[in-house]
Amino acid sequence: MIRFERRTEANALWTAVSFAMAVAAGLAASAALIATTGADVLQVFAALLQGAAGSPKALATTLVKATPLILTGLATVIAFRAQIWSIGQEGQVLAGAMGGYLGAQLLAGLPPLLFFPGVLAFGMAAGMGLGWIAAVLRNRFAVNEIISTVMLNYLVVYLLSWLLQGGPWGETGGTISYQQSPMLPEEAFLPALFGSSRLHAGVLLPLLAAAICALVMSRTPLGYEIRGLGYNPEALRHKGVNIGRTVTVIMVASAALAALAGAIELFGVAHRLRADNLLGLGYAGIIVGMIGGLSPIGTVFAGLFFGGLASGAVYMRVLGDVPASLVPAMQGITLFFFLCAGVMARYRVVMKVAVQ
Amino acid sequence: MSTALRVEGLTKRFAGVTANDNVDFDLRPGEIHCLFGENGAGKSTLSSCIFGFYRPDKGEILLRDQPVHIASPMDAIRHGIGMVHQHFVLVPEFTVLENIIVGTQRSGWRLNAAEARQKLKAICDGYGIDLDLDAYVWELPVGRQQWVEILKTLYLDAQILILDEPTAVLTPGESRILFDIVRKMCARGMSIILITHKLVEVMQSDRVTVLRKGKVVATLDTPDTTPDELARLMVGRDVSFTVTKPELEPGETVLAVEGLSARGFWGDPVLKDVSFSVARHEILGIAGVAGNGQKELFEVLCGVRRPAAGSIRFKGEEVAGMSPRSMMDRGVGHIPDDRFREGLVPEFSVAENVVLGWQRSPKYRNGPLMDRQAIGGLAREMIAEYQIATRDEQVAAGKLSGGNAQKIIIAREFLHASGLVLANQPTRGLDVGVIEYVQTQLLKKRAEGFAIVLASEELSDLFNLADRIAVMFKGEIMGIVDPRATTVAEVGVMMAGRRNEAAASKERVSA
Repeated sequence: MIRFERRTEANALWTAVSFAMAVAAGLAASAALIATTGADVLQVFAALLQGAAGSPKALATTLVKATPLILTGLATVIAFRAQIWSIGQEGQVLAGAMGGYLGAQLLAGLPPLLFFPGVLAFGMAAGMGLGWIAAVLRNRFAVNEIISTVMLNYLVVYLLSWLLQGGPWGETGGTISYQQSPMLPEEAFLPALFGSSRLHAGVLLPLLAAAICALVMSRTPLGYEIRGLGYNPEALRHKGVNIGRTVTVIMVASAALAALAGAIELFGVAHRLRADNLLGLGYAGIIVGMIGGLSPIGTVFAGLFFGGLASGAVYMRVLGDVPASLVPAMQGITLFFFLCAGVMARYRVVMKVAVQ
Repeated sequence: MSTALRVEGLTKRFAGVTANDNVDFDLRPGEIHCLFGENGAGKSTLSSCIFGFYRPDKGEILLRDQPVHIASPMDAIRHGIGMVHQHFVLVPEFTVLENIIVGTQRSGWRLNAAEARQKLKAICDGYGIDLDLDAYVWELPVGRQQWVEILKTLYLDAQILILDEPTAVLTPGESRILFDIVRKMCARGMSIILITHKLVEVMQSDRVTVLRKGKVVATLDTPDTTPDELARLMVGRDVSFTVTKPELEPGETVLAVEGLSARGFWGDPVLKDVSFSVARHEILGIAGVAGNGQKELFEVLCGVRRPAAGSIRFKGEEVAGMSPRSMMDRGVGHIPDDRFREGLVPEFSVAENVVLGWQRSPKYRNGPLMDRQAIGGLAREMIAEYQIATRDEQVAAGKLSGGNAQKIIIAREFLHASGLVLANQPTRGLDVGVIEYVQTQLLKKRAEGFAIVLASEELSDLFNLADRIAVMFKGEIMGIVDPRATTVAEVGVMMAGRRNEAAASKERVSA
């Protein structure tokens, strides 16, 4: 007879085995999915790998793609660790880009050392405003943050849509609307690293952010309160922690990280305000944060993994001749098995002969 | 002699810990057989094996001398074994009748209420249980809710009834009624397994099996033994039941509460016009059955709940309505009754819990970071001073036993408090040895000049420790009495809602 028993203590080896099995199972399921398209599975995987890490250029793309994902993943981590189920990262990314765009109009002409911190701050402030609204709704009116953040996401999507189509920021070229802003001036592009055309300086920020998050979570009183809030808010309330204020700090900080992702995309990648390169980054961040085990360092790796998938997707479509939408499907499959592994790591398998 | 139930050589291990070690136990028809022992002695494990929650690793269970295999509680019920848990498993929004028939019907998909009602009426009449079958469970006092649980087992034709700490939530009067009902059951041939760690109850049983560290220490005929002998068997050493309390002259008033009222979630009054004061070197006991406003009183005093009216003066300063933070900063320590929910973060380590609430204090910080060295050192000091049984200070507090968890809270609160300690049920569910320890610590603080408010459901606690005892009933203070001039029975009557006129009139200045 085989039974599952809950573990009383985590076992590092078994946890590693669980997650290794999740990767294997994820790959196997993805392979099965690829096979249904009629493509050569090995060839597709090879293309994916090449696109993700096959050349310096591919690596640069992976890093660039991972940047917003790590940031939205970190945004997820600090909220979810406190058991605040904010899924407003999506709207906050857009708000970050919008705020950054506004900042670029207002701060144009400043020297780069002032301009870039300034516009990124504008973007983060816009996102923080959104996070603050959700926090107030929760603290003051007990509105569930899942509902409020989803609703705010819609609000922001339509606001952006209006701004770009017929609104003040839209690019007008003749009679049709492109649903995008005009190009930013070149001095507003984030500087490139190593002379590479795509590797912008913004890729350093998520690593810095992850290091700060890790330090804050594990070593500071605020991190202590965030973790405590997730485990047992009642004890914290009894021991003098102002829960409302802590929730506000967490939601605003989380929003700032997500918004930073949007602003970096604007100034580092798209160079103009448009929705299609931003949509989905917030939701993907939730997956990245979860796969990262809600740990800042784990999130960096999960973000790089997903960035690699996104970067490889292009090669996969061209070389492997399969639809690029396989990639989001593979991301979903990976998350599913990682969540399974998370459960499995907490149980032990007991095999024994029943004594009757 | 034939037995109703026999357990032979039962062994049950959990992750390396042997909870039951080769336990032999037998239950005669018509007897009350007590399972007596400290927390963690294996009482619950044994009863859980009998009721089918756990499968024993070794050993046999025999019902009426027939070996049986009990795989689940459903199985146990089919075999005529019933269990009343310490925490009731009732749906408050259902009526008594609904609670009993839902999930217990054996066939068909429609509830057959009429038939059940008849059967239940017959049972109630037979045992003299006066219970309205159509009352909602939430309307019933706790004692009656327990009857519902008992009725459920009778309805299912139980022949063996396991009662797990049945009097933990009852007044002395309600406990007496419970024992009356239980004796009637025995007279009809039912057998009762009574799990308890209260000596008073053990003495009402026919036989007692004492467990210590998973092993049976002795099985005795109750009339042939004494409470002292049983306590010695349970703990394995001599226990003093009365801590010595030195006479101390109360100093100046530390806490003065006047006309304090509070409301519950639905605006219902949970505290009504409560007034008392506590001075230095004084322990004010709060007696009462759980759920009569003690918790709310402590919550208001420590700032977690806002009062609706009234004044709280701490060292002369009006503090009613202040936040928990402000109260803590003024030196108020609080030992909450629900230690794992309100007093600790179980996932945090012992060290992290020792500074819970003081995580921002400069003492425990090194710049913006928490000073792990200082906190770890402090935690090791506390572990040594309070004899907390743990591997080291990095173990999660949730992995510790209730007694050791309580010691963390006591260590933390005593360390940071100055002037006042609020202790709500500090000994609930703890072993005799730890109770002794907690009592000694409270008396030590009293000697140091602290004022202490101590609520306990164990009257023996209060009579041992308190300088005065305030009795609470339905959010009101029924009177404040001097334990040296009052009997347990008198306090018991007040706990059931009878006002002590002499004491009450003294408290009341004007209407």
